[in-house]
Amino acid sequence: MSAESRTVAREAWEETLGDLKAQGFAYLDLLTAIDRGDQIEVVAHVVEPVSAGQIRVSTRVPAVDPRLATATQLFPAAAWHEREAAEMFGLVFDGHPDPRPLLRRASPGRPPLRTATVLAARVAVPWPGAADPESAGKGARRRQLPPGVPVDWLDETST
Amino acid sequence: MSPVAHGVIALLPEACTSCMICVRECPTWCITVESHAEQVGEPGARRPRTVSILDRFAIDFGLCMYCGICIDVCPFDALEWAPAIDNSAANRNDLVHDTERLAGWRMHD
Repeated sequence: MSAESRTVAREAWEETLGDLKAQGFAYLDLLTAIDRGDQIEVVAHVVEPVSAGQIRVSTRVPAVDPRLATATQLFPAAAWHEREAAEMFGLVFDGHPDPRPLLRRASPGRPPLRTATVLAARVAVPWPGAADPESAGKGARRRQLPPGVPVDWLDETST
Repeated sequence: MSPVAHGVIALLPEACTSCMICVRECPTWCITVESHAEQVGEPGARRPRTVSILDRFAIDFGLCMYCGICIDVCPFDALEWAPAIDNSAANRNDLVHDTERLAGWRMHD
């Protein structure tokens, strides 16, 4: 199932979605975000209900200024998608009628789905894989860390 | 219910060598393995061999996301999918299934 992809500038986001809706792509299938490092990519997936044609529209906003116009005036269904993307990626959807967090309680700290966010539970909970049965009683041969975790990860968060 | 349905993860304790691969690959850290080393003497061997004896294997199904990575990575086929879907519980602690309960999910020997 392939969909045509369009990448637009942040300023053209609302206009692009409005044009597609006028062309019959009236069903918002998905709106989500991806952390691209210094940018956050926002992706919307719209469907033309009769032919089931699909178009994927994406735009990028700077991670330090993650503002984007809301699509809720065009697609009321965007409200929940945008609330979820906002709380998970720290995005701000200008003009959203109800910007409360959707799934989590409002809390300070970094948005959980930003890749720079260290998950506090991973620091508080001992990694079960650190146990080393082969050298039980002899002291671990090397320090075991979860896959993908930087060596200085725990030190960084404890300071 | 399909016999290959991904309902719950079953353990074959006699196949487990406590190698910890599943524990370390698990993305949600939901597997706990406790083991101890034992010296096993073999006829003709000059020194006893050290083997790991599994004391406890537990999966916390409150954390498990049923990705099946543990089943894929196990070199000894000690883990397998089982079709049971009645692994709900009235409190979080009962979602932690230990060795006997995990072994009980097996469909066949």
